[in-house]
Amino acid sequence: MSQPLSFNRRKALGILGAGSAGALLAACSPSQQADQGNSGGNSTGGSGDKVTISFRLWDDQVQKAYQKAFTEFTKQNPDIEVKTNLVPWANYWTQLPVDVGSGAIDDLFWTNSSNFQQYADAGKISDVNSLLGSIDDAWVKPVVDQYTYKDKLWGIPQIADANGIFYNKSIISDVDPKIISRIGKLKWRPGAGSGDNLLSTLKMLTVDKNGKAATDAGFDGKNIKTYGYNAAYDLQAIYFPFIGSNGGRWQQGNGSNKFVFGSDPKTVQAFEYIVDLINKYHVAPSAADTNDNGDFSLNQFLQGHMAIFQSGTYNLANISDGAKFDWAIARNPAGTAGSFGVASGVVVAASAATKNTDAVKKLLRFLGSADGNKFIGESGSALPAVSTAQSSWVDFWKAKNIDVQAFVDAANGDTIPAPLGTGGSASSDAYDPILKEIFLGRTPVKSGLAQAEAKANAAIGH
Amino acid sequence: MTNARGRALRRTAVGYGLLAPSMIGIGLFLIIPVLVAIAVSFDSWNIISPPKWLGPQNYISVLTDPDVWHSFLVTAQYTLLVIPTQTILGLGLAVLLSKRLPGTPVFRVIFALPWICAPLTLGIVWKWVFAPTGGLLNAIIGTRVEWLTDFSLALPAVSFVSVWTQTGYVALFYLAGLSGVPKDIQDAARVDGAGEVGVFWRITMPLLRPTTFFVLATSIISSFQVFDTVYAMTGGGPGAPGRTDVIAHRIYSLAFEQLDLGKASALSVILMIGLIVLTVLQQVYFRRRITYDVAN
Repeated sequence: MSQPLSFNRRKALGILGAGSAGALLAACSPSQQADQGNSGGNSTGGSGDKVTISFRLWDDQVQKAYQKAFTEFTKQNPDIEVKTNLVPWANYWTQLPVDVGSGAIDDLFWTNSSNFQQYADAGKISDVNSLLGSIDDAWVKPVVDQYTYKDKLWGIPQIADANGIFYNKSIISDVDPKIISRIGKLKWRPGAGSGDNLLSTLKMLTVDKNGKAATDAGFDGKNIKTYGYNAAYDLQAIYFPFIGSNGGRWQQGNGSNKFVFGSDPKTVQAFEYIVDLINKYHVAPSAADTNDNGDFSLNQFLQGHMAIFQSGTYNLANISDGAKFDWAIARNPAGTAGSFGVASGVVVAASAATKNTDAVKKLLRFLGSADGNKFIGESGSALPAVSTAQSSWVDFWKAKNIDVQAFVDAANGDTIPAPLGTGGSASSDAYDPILKEIFLGRTPVKSGLAQAEAKANAAIGH
Repeated sequence: MTNARGRALRRTAVGYGLLAPSMIGIGLFLIIPVLVAIAVSFDSWNIISPPKWLGPQNYISVLTDPDVWHSFLVTAQYTLLVIPTQTILGLGLAVLLSKRLPGTPVFRVIFALPWICAPLTLGIVWKWVFAPTGGLLNAIIGTRVEWLTDFSLALPAVSFVSVWTQTGYVALFYLAGLSGVPKDIQDAARVDGAGEVGVFWRITMPLLRPTTFFVLATSIISSFQVFDTVYAMTGGGPGAPGRTDVIAHRIYSLAFEQLDLGKASALSVILMIGLIVLTVLQQVYFRRRITYDVAN
């Protein structure tokens, strides 16, 4: 009796071992974790004479604006229906290549500048010139430049991000009302040298659990009640604006995507300053809180535990909805090169595999027009990338008594280019763990950045 | 003779007919994915573009990659932390549950609940429990500990959650095993003067060897495939290479972050072969010691 049992179990376990290991890839597939949006599906077909176009994006606020836009579009084009497919940011860039590769991609999808080149190179997206024949002058130029590759534009500009700081007027007034007038003129200098007033301001605003400010003797930097600032491992909100405002570079530029962030002394200075704010002066949350929790600082600000929150237009709606205190917006702290934001926009790309080319062309023309793009502005969810539609966004916030002039100025001000052609997540996967260690204060900034740069360049073949 | 042969053929045909639905399922969902993974392991493939034949290069790259060996080491450490702990705790829990005390059925369900829940969800909940600011655990102990970003604490923290998840599951198997241990043998030992500890170690445990073999074999396989909990709690970090960068997380990273399906598949195949070898070794070891149904 034992033999057959032994034989069966051995065979069963053999199959179990083989199957479970072999199925590992499938089990790890991000499709297992994707949180499909309300409209779901990757429908590209039609029912009867009606054509259904699917549209993928990652922002639920803008999704609501698009749904209104698509209702209007369908009124004008009764034979075309558009469905949105929300894939959260956390899974977006792992899900997208899988779906593009398998042919299960939506007709249209949002992309950012880090990722579009690989789809263009593989012939998976169609360029705007061949689809629509021309480029609209009303499209915001930095976004058009950002997505122009091999002399072709690879998406219709939809959103132009602008950076700035949100500040809690109540916290600041309680510390010293005079600081309010300083907020729009904050300056930082490498090593908090001559001319720097950011660090001294943040020290005054940071208070520990015992009520001592960071300027006081006996300040407990490990137990903070109110943070002065949100210095953190955050590309768009923090370290890119700091790099730009110090005249530093992330990539070589001039057509090369080679990383230079570890060898550019000004970039190293910018990182040293940010890391010191966290680990030396304790005026910002520990990287143990923020490295893997992108919403930690936003939540601290909304809960009234942070005085200054540096971010961008993409958090304006969240703060407007969630803040129960008096707040305002100002420009980013200025470095030696001035106050900088990130030249970062979002475009909608057209899948080359779409079977509804004519309907897609109609929809792209609509989305690239002021009439189509204004729905995003009217919802207040993001700054439209069609310049003639931007007034709708300003008007929305004016009606709520929120002055967004600092963002408008930033959109027309100095910017550092967003990462370009970084091989999808390959390079960030290489530098990400090292940069996290730098922010935790366990790896020296200079040697850590040099190591991260080498790994990131190796990941994209430099 | 012809009739007998015909009957035998019919029986065989009926047998295969009855097996067909299962065989189709196994073929579609087990064998074909394994064969595809093996085929892809010899290709250069970024998912987006068509795969290109590369030969054994992916295997050479993977086996000479220090990060991969680091991941094997982390996985081995994780296995050493998790398997003995959950097996001992599961056995102890099963012994307690087998006493048929009041409320035992309720406790059986409670202890199995973590295993029933989705690991990714549990990982997210435990990430909050371990959060340095606003986390439940630090609030209870009244001090700030950075559980998931500290080099020495991250792997034990993840291992703890795995033990917490799996112990009830292990206990269920031991409970089933304990119910199959013949009472007459235990009683005979007691009559011969053996104490309860002696009965447990000399009678019960040897008779539980088939259960122990099954528990260890499946637990080791699943510990080498742990992914969801690590992904949710630490993302493989902290550090570079990551302190919790287990082998399944490295495969995920190669496949879906670095878009290198060829290397990811090669590593999957190596893992599969390693687990088959490990399982066969366990089988050989236990076969010498397993006592099945002595009644026959």
